Formats: sequence, C-alpha cells, structure tokens
Amino acid sequence: MVVCLFPLHDFFPIREYQDLKPGKIAAPDRTLCLAQDDRKRQFELLALPHLDAAFNLARWLAGNPADAEDVVQEAYLRAYRYFDSFQGGNFRVWLLSIVRNSFINWVKENRSGRLLFQAEPAASETETMWAQRPRDPEALLLDSIDSQTLETLMQRLPVEYREVLLLREVEDLAYKEIATITATPIGTVMSRLSRARLALRALWLGADSREAARGV
Amino acid sequence: MGCDRIRALLPLLVDGALHQPRRFFVDRHVAGCPDCGSRLEELQSIQAMIRTKLPFYRAPPGLAARIGATLPREAPPPHRRPWFRLPAFGIAGGGIAGAVAGVALTLVILQGPAREDAAVKSVIGSHIRSLMAEHLTDVATSDQHTVKPWLSARLDVSPPVRDMAELGFPLLGGRLDYVDGHKGAAVVYRHAKHIINLFAWAAPGRDAGFAEQAHQGFNVVSWRRDGVAYYAVSDLNANELAAFARLAGG
Repeated sequence: MVVCLFPLHDFFPIREYQDLKPGKIAAPDRTLCLAQDDRKRQFELLALPHLDAAFNLARWLAGNPADAEDVVQEAYLRAYRYFDSFQGGNFRVWLLSIVRNSFINWVKENRSGRLLFQAEPAASETETMWAQRPRDPEALLLDSIDSQTLETLMQRLPVEYREVLLLREVEDLAYKEIATITATPIGTVMSRLSRARLALRALWLGADSREAARGV
Repeated sequence: MGCDRIRALLPLLVDGALHQPRRFFVDRHVAGCPDCGSRLEELQSIQAMIRTKLPFYRAPPGLAARIGATLPREAPPPHRRPWFRLPAFGIAGGGIAGAVAGVALTLVILQGPAREDAAVKSVIGSHIRSLMAEHLTDVATSDQHTVKPWLSARLDVSPPVRDMAELGFPLLGGRLDYVDGHKGAAVVYRHAKHIINLFAWAAPGRDAGFAEQAHQGFNVVSWRRDGVAYYAVSDLNANELAAFARLAGG
C-alpha cells in the first residue's frame, strides 16, 4: 500500500497514462474522470447491445464458452481503447472485426504453432463439389437435419468457412461488410461463401450416407 | 446467358445481392432450366437451414457487468491537463491477477471555463450518440402536446417544446438523456437534413445570453433562462443554429 502526497501529473503526464504498468500510480483528476465516465457510457451504449452477436461469433470461432468469454472480454477492452478511432458507420461491423482480431490473437497466445486460417484446399472447386450427389434426392432438401447435427457439422468446417457463414446467415451482413470484418477482398468473400455452403452440404451428404450405411 | 454464367450468379441471387437487369435474366433462365433451378433450390435450403436451425449462443448473464467493471481502468482518453490542481492523495493497492494495480484520487478545483467546456463536449457526445445508436427519440412525434407532458412527467424541468415546422424546424420528438452529470431532456428538431438536439436541464443560477461555440465539427449554442440550461447542438451552420436557438429560446 502506497500513499502519495505529490501532484503525480508532474511525474506521469496524463498522455502517458495508458502506458503505465501495474505498480505505478496514476492520478486521474476530476475532469478526466468526468470525461472518462462520459466516454465509458457512450461506449457501453453503443457496444453492449451487440454483446450477444459478439459472443455468438466468438463462441463459434473458439468452440467453447469459456474461451469465447475471454475473447469477448479482450475484444471489448480493445474496442474501448480504440473507440476514438471509430469513424461512424456500422458499429456492429466495427466491433465484430475486433472480436475476430482478438480471436486470432488469442489463438496465437494460447495455441502457439497451430495454423488456424489455412489456405483453402485446391480440391474445393465448386463444380467438383456440386458433382457429389445424394443417393436419395430427398436428402438434398436438408429439411430433416436437426440443430444438433447442424452444430456438429458446422464445427467440422474450417474456421474461415464457419465465420463467413455466420456473418452472412446469422448476422445477415452484406458481402462488403464481411470483407471488412475478415480483412479479405470482396471476391474472396463471395467464393469462400460458396465453398462454405457446398462444404456444409458435402458434410451433410456424407453424414447422411453414413447413417444410411448404418441403417439408421 | 449460358448455365455457367447463371450458376455463378446464383449465390448473389440467394444473398439478395443481384440487381436488375441481371436478376431478370437469371430468374428467366432458372424458370426454364431444371438443373439450374435445382441448384438454386439447394442453395436456398442450405441458407434456410443455417438461418433457422443453427444454435445462437447468447452471452452468459453477468458478462456485460464483468466487461463494464474492467473498462474504466483501461486506457483513459488523452486529455489536456487541468488548469489548477491541489496535491494528490493517492492510494495504490496490489494488483489482482495481473490487473492494474494503482488507483489514485486527486482533488481538483474546477474552474468555470473548464466546466463549461466539459458540458459542451458532453452535449456533443450525446448528440453524436443519438445519431449513431438509432436512439434519437424515446417519444417520436411532431405533436408538441405529446412530447412536453411526456418529458415533464419524467424530469424536474419542463422544457419548452414547440413544433416550428412552419419556421423550417419540424419537431421530431424527445428523449431523456443524461448529459454532463445532469438528467435532462433532449428535444429533437430537424432542419433540412440536419438533426438538432436541444438539451435542457435544471441549472439554478442567473440567466445567461446566447453563447456560440464550434467543436469537433459541430456548432453549439447555449443559454440559460429561469433556472434551466439549454444547449442546441447540430452540424447545421452556425447562423442557422443561432436562428434556431433564438426561436426556441425566445
């Protein structure tokens, strides 16, 4: 416990406050606190309504709730830190791109060496993928799939397919917005989305034929 | 168009990104080509399947609170040094789980101009927020006889609310706001394509005349009357906003 009796700003100018390491002491004056309260409130008003979207994306990327929560917390801290750089536009898009970046950082820190976003397999040309036909044409309609099966199949997709499907179908974002979030050219977003849909279809057809083989 | 070109456009059709005139040709082709038609159906059913059956994971309860609790210790915004300050009496505690360790308090004598400056920044912040968050109004009506009682019932001030549509400033509605430490009213007007937020909160003290300021690309006109502080904020040009202030406050 340290008690100080100096005007600390003389030692630690406010602009360097961000760089203070734990153990050093910052002395926010009241004006700063007011501005900070206001800034925090502005941030929360904008960011908290998107917490479910942020968590859902992180949960699908990270694969489990505990890691997703870490990713989201880190993302919100980063978003708050860079809040001043938000230039208007779609706040959800801005926030989700930070969630995605936080996830990538989290992977680097926690699963070092594991390559996450892989180059897409050359065999995933869409025409080839369309060529796979189901034995039973009815299976094409995909109506019979249940949520749990779909969840399992989604988790088996490469993460870049998963995220593009989520951003398109769940967040209902446009190609351009998905391109912004994933830092990918729009043409790549479109082709990746097509392949992702067909990869999901292929998994479903595979699961279906296995079930058929087992006589289910 | 041949099947290949049509097939390349099917995802755009499914995603609502195919516009006329190409959409017309794709629709026409699909109607007459069973192969392309079945591909379109499959794409649509894959899309419908994800949209209707994929689990959505809501944030766990308490996560918002945990995030809120960690925010203020992170990265306060750059801020100019205050004009005057008493020595600080700071207390620092040990860090928990590597978190920020130091918390300190400083006593400050706030000076008038700095205080006014904070209020202006605060109303501008609220103005921007009201535009971005799609939360412009709590009560959206151009009927002044609805907006005024709605606000009066919830506040200790009763701001003047007038529909000035015939003067070029139609009333859009009102909302409650918390600005610069005050619970107040924001009465929302429009002039051409510009939104004007007129903030009002109880501020006992002398009346003050119209004061104009420009900050962060916004114009602000402030005045005080009968114990109420008023701030009109807009990206409207200074002359027109001054005219608005005189109409609203007069």
